[in-house]
Amino acid sequence: MSPPILNIKDLSLTIGETKILHDIDLQLEHGQIAGIVGESGSGKSLTALSVMQLLPNASRTGGTIEFNGQNLLTLDENAMCALRGNEIGMVFQEPMTALNPVKTIGEQIREGIRWHTNASRAQAEERARSMLDRVGLPPSQYPLERYPHELSGGQRQRVVIAIATALNPKILIADEPTTALDVVLQAQILDLLKELVADNDMALILISHDLGVVADVADTITIMRKGVVEEAGSAVKVLKEQKHPYTAQLAEASIHMPAWQNRKKPASPEPLLEVSNLSKIYRGRRTGVFSHAPDFTAVDDVSFDIAAGRSIGLVGRSGCGKSTLARMVLGLSKPSNGKILFDNKTTTALDDTTMRASRRHMQVVFQDPYGSFNPRKTVEWLVAEPLFLEDEKLTRHQKQERIAAALNEVGLSADAMKKYPHEFSGGQRQRIAIARALITRPKLIVADEPVSALDVSIRAQVLDLLAKLNDDLGIAFLFITHDLSVARAITHEVMVMDKGKIVERGQTGDILDNPQMRPTQRLVEATPDLQQAIKRRSTAK
Amino acid sequence: MAYFIVRRMMIVLLTLWVASIIIFAMLQIIPGDPAQLMLGINATDDAVAALREQLGLNAPLFERYINWMSGMLIGDFGYSYTYGTAVGNLIAERITVSLPLALIALALSTLIAIPVGIFTASRRGTATDTSAMAITQIGIAIPNFWFAILLVYVFAITLRLVPAGGFPGWETGLWPALKSLLLPAIALALPQAAILSRVTRSALLETMAEDYIRTARAKGLPARRVLWHHALRNAFIPVLTILGLQFAFLLAGTIIIENVFYLPGLGRLIFQSIQRLDLMVVQSVVVLLVASVIFINFLVDLAYAWADPRLRRQG
Amino acid sequence: MSEHVNNTETEGWRTFRKNALRNRNFLIGICLTGFVLAIALISFIWTPFDTTKLVISDRLNAPDLTHLLGTDHFGRDILSMVMVGARNSIAVALLAVGIGIAIGVPLGCWGAAKRGFIDEILMRSSDIIFAFPALLSAVMITAIFGPSATNAIIAIGIFNIPVFARVARGAALTIWSREYILAARASGKGAVRITREHILPNITNILVVQGTIQFSLGILAEAGLSYVGLGTQPPDVSWGRMLNEAQTMMAIAPHMAIIPGIAIIVTVLGLNLLGDGLRDLLDPRLRRER
Repeated sequence: MSPPILNIKDLSLTIGETKILHDIDLQLEHGQIAGIVGESGSGKSLTALSVMQLLPNASRTGGTIEFNGQNLLTLDENAMCALRGNEIGMVFQEPMTALNPVKTIGEQIREGIRWHTNASRAQAEERARSMLDRVGLPPSQYPLERYPHELSGGQRQRVVIAIATALNPKILIADEPTTALDVVLQAQILDLLKELVADNDMALILISHDLGVVADVADTITIMRKGVVEEAGSAVKVLKEQKHPYTAQLAEASIHMPAWQNRKKPASPEPLLEVSNLSKIYRGRRTGVFSHAPDFTAVDDVSFDIAAGRSIGLVGRSGCGKSTLARMVLGLSKPSNGKILFDNKTTTALDDTTMRASRRHMQVVFQDPYGSFNPRKTVEWLVAEPLFLEDEKLTRHQKQERIAAALNEVGLSADAMKKYPHEFSGGQRQRIAIARALITRPKLIVADEPVSALDVSIRAQVLDLLAKLNDDLGIAFLFITHDLSVARAITHEVMVMDKGKIVERGQTGDILDNPQMRPTQRLVEATPDLQQAIKRRSTAK
Repeated sequence: MAYFIVRRMMIVLLTLWVASIIIFAMLQIIPGDPAQLMLGINATDDAVAALREQLGLNAPLFERYINWMSGMLIGDFGYSYTYGTAVGNLIAERITVSLPLALIALALSTLIAIPVGIFTASRRGTATDTSAMAITQIGIAIPNFWFAILLVYVFAITLRLVPAGGFPGWETGLWPALKSLLLPAIALALPQAAILSRVTRSALLETMAEDYIRTARAKGLPARRVLWHHALRNAFIPVLTILGLQFAFLLAGTIIIENVFYLPGLGRLIFQSIQRLDLMVVQSVVVLLVASVIFINFLVDLAYAWADPRLRRQG
Repeated sequence: MSEHVNNTETEGWRTFRKNALRNRNFLIGICLTGFVLAIALISFIWTPFDTTKLVISDRLNAPDLTHLLGTDHFGRDILSMVMVGARNSIAVALLAVGIGIAIGVPLGCWGAAKRGFIDEILMRSSDIIFAFPALLSAVMITAIFGPSATNAIIAIGIFNIPVFARVARGAALTIWSREYILAARASGKGAVRITREHILPNITNILVVQGTIQFSLGILAEAGLSYVGLGTQPPDVSWGRMLNEAQTMMAIAPHMAIIPGIAIIVTVLGLNLLGDGLRDLLDPRLRRER
C-alpha cells in the first residue's frame, strides 16, 4: 500500500488557554474520501483548518500533519500559500457569505488560477469557464460577469467548489458543505463532489454533523467528540459494527423513533384547524418609476385541516412557502386571500381582542434556540409571557405554579426560573421554548423547524418530549420541517409543499415510502438514509 | 442603475426644497427689523418703511419665499444692502477662499488617514499599531480651533514662518495665498484625519473577519494580497460614509477656523451677516452650504453603488 | 448548570466587573471622566480662588505656587476658572444629550415598529437635519435666539435627535427581526408593549455607548460655540469662553489658551475611551462570538 497522502499524527490544538484538540490521528489515502463526523464542539472544523493552517490567532498546534513528505505545521507562510488552492482546496459551510460580494464570480475563480500558474488572463478565463461548466453552471446561462448576489445559495456553493478545485488539488476539504442547503441541493452538491473526486483523482475530507450524509460516500469514517477521535476505520466497518458506544448513539439518534403511544391512534373526526384557499402574495420590488418586479406568490391557494390531537408534518424545500403558511396560521402575517378557522372561530381578522382566545389555544415553537429568547429576561418571565393572553389576572402564586408545572412538563426543574437563557444549552433552551408554548394549555402547537438547529442526540430527546406531550396532553402539532426523518419520527400525516402549493398529503409512512408526486419523490430520494446506506454498503463488499 | 440615480436625485431635490423652507422660516423669526438695523436708530420711520419696501419685506411670506427661490434658480442670489453688492458677487469672491481651504483640508486628511489606516490594520496588535491608535485617540479629542490657536502661536508668533492670519488674495500669487491657507488647512485636517484613520482601520479589520476572506486565503493568496484585493474595496463603504460626513464637518469647521485666522471666506461672511442681520446673505449662503452637503452625499451614494454591486439594483 | 449561583443578577455584574478591570480603554476612560466630574462637583463647594473677584494686580501671571495654573487678564485664578468652567461645559453637553435621547429614541423606536410610510418620513427628516452642518445651524440658532448657554443646549440638542433616532431605529430593527419578537406577538402583545419589554432593554447598551460619544461631541460643540461668542456668556465661565478670552492674549499669555484646551482634550478623550470600553464590554455581538 502506498503511503497516505495526508497523515495527521497526534495533532493537538490550543487556542488561548483552552485545549481544543487532543492527539488527533487521521490518514487519507490517495483518491479516497474520508468522512469526519461529530456534533458541535467536536473540533472537526478546526482539524480541517489546522491542515490549511488558517487557524484563528493565538492558536498553538502540536503533533504532525504530513503532506507530500512535509510537515504542514512547521512550513512557513509562503510555502503554505503555495500549497493552498494549488494542492489543497477547501469548501466552507456558508455559501451565502463565502464569496466576495464586490467581485464577479469570474474574477474570483480566475484569481487563484493566475496566482498559482503563469496562465495568461485569457487562459485563466478559459479555465474558469470550463470549471463553471464542470460544476453545473454553464457559462451560457451563468456568465463570468455575474456577481455572487445574483446567484442562489446552491449556485454559490458550486462557485466555491469551482474555486477550490480549479487547479485539481490533490486534496479537497469540504467543511459541512451542504448544511446550509436544503436536502435536494445537498444531494446535488454531494454528487458533484463525488464526481469531481473520482474524475480528477482527488482525495476528499468530508466533514459533517450528519452520519447519514457521510455514510453513503466515505471510504473511511472518523467519529469525533469534544476534540478527541472516538472511533476511526473503514466506513463499512464503523457503520456496521458500531463498536464504539458513541457511534452507536449517533447512529441511533439520527434515525430515532420516539416511543409514541398515539402513533397508531386514528384521527378524531372533529377538525381543530381548517384552512381554506389561503394565499399570500408579495408585491414585487420597485425597479423603475412605474415598473415593479413580478409579484411573488409565496402561498398559493392552500386548503387543509388538522383534527384535534393530530400531528401533521408540513415538509418541503427551503423557499417553498411553509414558514409563510405557518405565520399566517399563527396570525402573525395577514393572508392575501382565504380563510382560517380555528376552534370554529375565524382568525384571519387579525384583531387583537378577538384573536386572544385563538392565540391562547395556539402556541408556537421556533427553530433557533438562541434567537427565540430575550436575553435580558429570566426564564420565569419568558415562560410566563403567553399568560398575557389569559382573561383573568393571575396572582403571583398561581403564575409561579403554572410556570413550574410547564417547566416540569418539559423535564426542567423549577429552579430554572430564576436563571437567564444564556445559562442553558441549546437543547435545554428548546425545552424552555416548549414550556413557554405549553403554559396556556394550547390545543395546537405550530413548530417551525424546532429540532433542525440541534445536534442529533439532543434532537432525539426533544422528539421524545414532543411525542410525550401528544400522548399526555393531546396537543395537536403542525410540524414544519425540511427533514423527512424528523417528519417520520413525530407525525401522523405529512403534507408536502412545493412552490406555494400543497402537492400531496397522506399518512406519513405511505407518503414517505411510496411518494406519488414528483416533488415528494425528489425530496425522498435526496434525503440521506443511514439504514439504507449501511445495508447497501455492507452487501456491496 | 438608472432608476437608482433617478430615485436618489429625486430625494436630493426634495431634501433641498425642504431645507430651503426651513432656512427661510428660521430667518423669519429673527427678532429685530433688518431695515431699522441697517439704517441705525436715528433713521426716520419713512426711511425705514421705504427700505422695507425696497427689501421686499412687506410682501407676504409666501411671496417672498417664491421670489427668493425663483431668483436662486436663475442664479440671482439677491442684493446685500450691508455690503452694497449682489450676494452672488459676494459668494463668488468668498468662495475662492473657503473652497480651496476645504479641499486642501479634505485632501490632506484623506492622504494622511487612509495610509495610516491600512498600515495599522495590516500590523494589528504591534507596537506601531497601538501607538498610532493612541495618537489618533488624542487627535479626535482635540478641538480644531484650539489646535489652530496653538499652530498660530508656534508657527506664526514664535517661529514667524507663516502669517498669523488674513488672506492676501490670489492675485498676489499662488504661494503667498497658499501659505496663508496652510495653517488653517492643517488645523482642520489633522483632527479629521484621526477619525478617518480609525474608521479605515476598523472597517478593514471587520472585513478581514468575513467568510470570503477565508475563501480567498484558502485559494493560496497571502494575507497582504487579500487585504489589498479583497478587503480594501469592501471596507471602502464605511470609509466613504465618514468622508461624506466629514465634508459637512469641514464646512462647519471653516466657520470657526476662518474666524481664528481672519480669513475672508464664506464662514466669516455668514458670521458677520448674522450679526448685521443681512438676511439675504445669510439665507443664500446657508442654502449654498446645505446644497453642497446634499450634493456631496449624493456623490457618496453613487460611489457606494460603484463600490458595491448589490446596491446597484436597489433604490 | 447546577453549579451556577442562584442570583444571576450579581453573576452578570461580576463578569462585567471582571472584564472591565481588564479593559484598558474602559479603565482609563472611567478614571479621566470621573476625575473631570469630580472637579466639576468640587467646584460647587470649593475653589482655590473666587472666580468672580477681579484682582488687577495679579493680571496675566504665569503658573506659580499661589496660582498653580496662572491667572488671566483680569487676575482670576485659571485653576479655579477651569473647575467652574467644567460644570458649564458638562451641563450643556449633558442636557443636549438628554434632549437627543428624550426625543430621538422614541422616534427611532416608533419608526422601527411601524416601518413603511412613517419610518420613511422619519428617516428622510433626519436626512434633512443631517444636511445642515451641525455647527453652522448652531451658529444660526444661537444668532437668531440670542447667544446664551440655554440656546447652545437647544442648538446642540436638536442635532442629537436624528443621531439617536437613527441609532435607536437601526438597533431596534435588528431586535424586531428576532424570533422572540414573533413569540411575543404570538402572545398577543402590541407594538408599544413589545417595544417596552423587548426592544428598549436590548438597545440600552448601544444607546449608552452612543450617549458617551455624543456627550464628548457636545463638549467640543459647546467649546466651539462659546469660543465664537455664541455660547456661555460672561460673567459665566466655560472652557470655550476661556479660549475666546485667551485668543487676543496669545502672544503674551499662551497658558490662558493652552490650559482650557487641555481640559477639553482630557474630558473628550476620557469620554471617547469610556465609550470604546463600554462598547467592548456591552456589545453582545462581540461578547458571544469572539
